[in-house]
Amino acid sequence: MIEKPFFVGYLPAPGPLRTFLLTVSILLIAGLGIAGFLMGAAQDDPGPGAFRFDYGRQTVTGVVELTPYPILHVTQGDDRIQPGDSFLMTAGGKSGVDSRAEPLNGQLAQVSGVVLERGDLYMLQLRSGRNGLQAAEGDAPVIAPEPQGRWKLAGEICDGKCLAGAMRPGRGLAHKACANLCLLGDVPPIFVSTQPVLGEEFLLVTGANGTRLPRAAYDYIAQFITAEGEITKRGDLLVWEIDVDTIEVTE
Amino acid sequence: MSVKYIPVQWNRNKWIYDAVMLTGVALFLWVFLYLTPEVLSHEQPVTAQIHNARAFGACAFVMLTVILCIGPAARLDRRFLPLLYNRRHFGVMTAFVALTHAGYILNWYFAFSSTDKLVGLLYANASLGQIAGFPFELFGIFALICLLILAATSHDFWLKFLTPPIWKRLHYLIYAAYFSVAAHVSLGILQDQKNHVFTVLFILGASAVIVLHIAAWLSERREIAAKDGAWAEVACVGDFREGYAKIAKLANGDRVAVYLMEGKLSAISNACAHQNGPLGEGKIIDCLVTCPWHGFQYDVRSGRSPAPFTEKVPTYRLRVIGDMVEVHPDANPPGTYVEPVPLPEPPPDPARDPAEQGATA
Repeated sequence: MIEKPFFVGYLPAPGPLRTFLLTVSILLIAGLGIAGFLMGAAQDDPGPGAFRFDYGRQTVTGVVELTPYPILHVTQGDDRIQPGDSFLMTAGGKSGVDSRAEPLNGQLAQVSGVVLERGDLYMLQLRSGRNGLQAAEGDAPVIAPEPQGRWKLAGEICDGKCLAGAMRPGRGLAHKACANLCLLGDVPPIFVSTQPVLGEEFLLVTGANGTRLPRAAYDYIAQFITAEGEITKRGDLLVWEIDVDTIEVTE
Repeated sequence: MSVKYIPVQWNRNKWIYDAVMLTGVALFLWVFLYLTPEVLSHEQPVTAQIHNARAFGACAFVMLTVILCIGPAARLDRRFLPLLYNRRHFGVMTAFVALTHAGYILNWYFAFSSTDKLVGLLYANASLGQIAGFPFELFGIFALICLLILAATSHDFWLKFLTPPIWKRLHYLIYAAYFSVAAHVSLGILQDQKNHVFTVLFILGASAVIVLHIAAWLSERREIAAKDGAWAEVACVGDFREGYAKIAKLANGDRVAVYLMEGKLSAISNACAHQNGPLGEGKIIDCLVTCPWHGFQYDVRSGRSPAPFTEKVPTYRLRVIGDMVEVHPDANPPGTYVEPVPLPEPPPDPARDPAEQGATA
């Protein structure tokens, strides 16, 4: 009977076993390297969203409107942001600018910050305090809302800031807890529609009758859903008042 | 086998073991972190913190898979036993890699909020009543706690303090950790992947763990059938080899290693006093049974480690009835001397040609 090599930890490995262990060691190291490559190279494209620090700081003036999430309808732009544009605003981190915007509802204000951009979606992360948002001189034009009727949409509710590029990827179920924290911090929620709606892929999503996104909708964040609600055009931004009772999870 | 505690009793084999494992882990992380961004043609890169978190998370999963494959692989093929020798160090490495993953997640996804990071981790997603969107982070937290407990109690101090049976049961937490990691991955990143390469690798890894465990269990079941009666059958007289053991499984689930040394049979518990290693898979070296896991040694007649060491294992009574060696299921107290039983000559094999028998006599 052939003597099988017997390994004792504190003694040198028997000769026949050394070749086997050397082979196993090489295969193990190579296997870990290959696994690292395959897993790393299999990451999905996180999309084109990003902070646009390369644009420099943007300072524009416009009318503040609470939907209840604050929107700025630009009246005086700069080389990148044109008069007539409407955009959402956020503070640094997972915070909105509601407390700063509420006293200026319906008034002219000057805002300053850095752009977050993802395709047609962009928002401004404002500088802190009055440097980011302050009242401006002049008469504020009235921005009339344009009702677009009741729509049933399919898509995903995300937090607007991560989606716009604060995080890549900034959507999906793995990002759900982060999205919830952002929304709890008053970052505006965005609905990403699977099909363009009135030419737009991204809609600001609120509760019915101009309320915040109901907590009941938080269970559905980052999932593909269908739901119904009224769409209103405010400036060039679509606002969808989601009816949470109609939410259905889809495949 | 020790008379005093030394933090880590290093030897050449342990250095080589750790070097191989660390090289593999470093290669995995280097390739994931620095090589793959070059081949991904994304318009905007994955955020660095998320990329890092993914690298360490994926690495921890692979390491855990390797750890759980080593045990059954060593059962199926004894040449893998050296991989078991210093597995504890690899386990501690895994805990650190998993902790780094958790650090990146906590300090990125749950940072920048007015809510405390740890509070946010437990509170942000409360969708406990659904599968899609379930707070998969909870499984990750549980797995990390398990890994940290295992790493913290991996030292021989805890083995001695808790006693081997309790220590070993505690370290079965590795299976709870792996199951939890599988749930963490399945309900988390797998829900979002469009590229399914990671999914395939994940399934392959988890399947390898399951298949190897089932194969080892079946193999063991085939080799050691449960016996009934007061005396349990071990093996035929002719099956024994000088310096090696046959393992018998008793009706109560315990295993007995029956060794042949210098033509005589002795039986001791199959569980090493160190880490419950399989003594019956060891061999006699310098007249002492040597455990295949960490080299702990015992006098096969008394179950005692040679002085100055103090480890003891139970011994058993043996008898030979006809051609069959049998063991009594009642264990003697650890360290009890039992007179070895001489092994009779095996009867001639009737299947062999008488002429051949004569030629070889």
